[in-house]
Amino acid sequence: MSLSRRDPLVVGSVVGDVLDPFTRLVSLKVTYGHREVTNGLDLRPSQVLNKPIVEIGGDDFRNFYTLVMVDPDVPSPSNPHQREYLHWLVTDIPATTGNAFGNEVVCYESPRPPSGIHRIVLVLFRQLGRQTVYAPGWRQQFNTREFAEIYNLGLPVAASYFNCQRENGCGGRRT
Amino acid sequence: MLSSAKHNKINNHSAFSISSSSSSLSTSSSLGHNKSQVTMEEVWKEINLGSLHYHRQLNIGHEPMLKNQNPNNSIFQDFLNMPLNQPPPPPPPPSSSTIVTALYGSLPLPPPATVLSLNSGVGFEFLDTTENLLASNPRSFEESAKFGCLGKKRGQDSDDTRGDRRYKRMIKNRESAARSRARKQAYTNELELEIAHLQTENARLKIQQEQLKIAEATQNQVKKTLQRSSTAPF
Repeated sequence: MSLSRRDPLVVGSVVGDVLDPFTRLVSLKVTYGHREVTNGLDLRPSQVLNKPIVEIGGDDFRNFYTLVMVDPDVPSPSNPHQREYLHWLVTDIPATTGNAFGNEVVCYESPRPPSGIHRIVLVLFRQLGRQTVYAPGWRQQFNTREFAEIYNLGLPVAASYFNCQRENGCGGRRT
Repeated sequence: MLSSAKHNKINNHSAFSISSSSSSLSTSSSLGHNKSQVTMEEVWKEINLGSLHYHRQLNIGHEPMLKNQNPNNSIFQDFLNMPLNQPPPPPPPPSSSTIVTALYGSLPLPPPATVLSLNSGVGFEFLDTTENLLASNPRSFEESAKFGCLGKKRGQDSDDTRGDRRYKRMIKNRESAARSRARKQAYTNELELEIAHLQTENARLKIQQEQLKIAEATQNQVKKTLQRSSTAPF
């Protein structure tokens, strides 16, 4: 089923800012420590220091998936002129397993938003085959749509996002 | 004390520039004070409209009266009037909550020239010292009235840029508020979806449990009969 208008990804403008409308085909479970990430959850940098455990569904071992983690709100949500920043890229994850079984081509860099409340988006794509996706040259100015187009990944099959802001304070404007 | 007195002059001239330029005189009188304060309004009118010479004489004449009638009250009305006329009212000083609530009634006035947008914050910071100074030395008004003309002139020069900046800030704030609402809504929706999901799962598990119970019960019955039949040969 396609995403409804009330879906958190739509309301949170993840669909639109980062992704095109898609249909969830595979389950995606992201866990930081003991906290399972639900869309729109508020996490602080200290809670996301280490990479999460990502478990994906699917049924056929022979299907491989790419996990992308980006921050579309750089440098700040009110003026995201450096959209997007790539935090993590894992390829060749076999269905029904998790990130541990994939190939970490861009290592995890924990989110540390300097100002504002940033959305951190995790997207799952289904690859056409094994070892068909390669790392981009740099993390800055990453574009998930373009990336999917380059490697023929098509539309996402799952996505999730959480909010991240500075450790102390409300994350508002700072000079 | 000297430096703070200087500041007060500046603050006061801002008060004057607004009351003379945007006709807040009528608004303060429309607030409906008691009679003793109405006379204060007259004093104010004279201060604002009359020449400095006339005002000087007048002020000397009224000086004792000023002290008797708790001048702070109506002076503050005017003083507080101007920053509150602007659309985003700054946080009211905690000490004068009653005055502020009375003043919110006069909000519908169109926002005056943005001369005061930057001064207003400072004005509040110095409220306490202003109070003391006004009570002890009402003469500082006349001096500030002189400054009032200058301040107005200065303010009009950079009016456009300030208004522009304020407008931009307003837009930014609205966007930020919209984002905040969207965030909240998204999280609420997520939780609602999760509740729905958990409820259906719970219902499914309950049915499953019932079925298992029934299955177990029938199995037990079968067992019993089997036991009986097995004990039969003895």
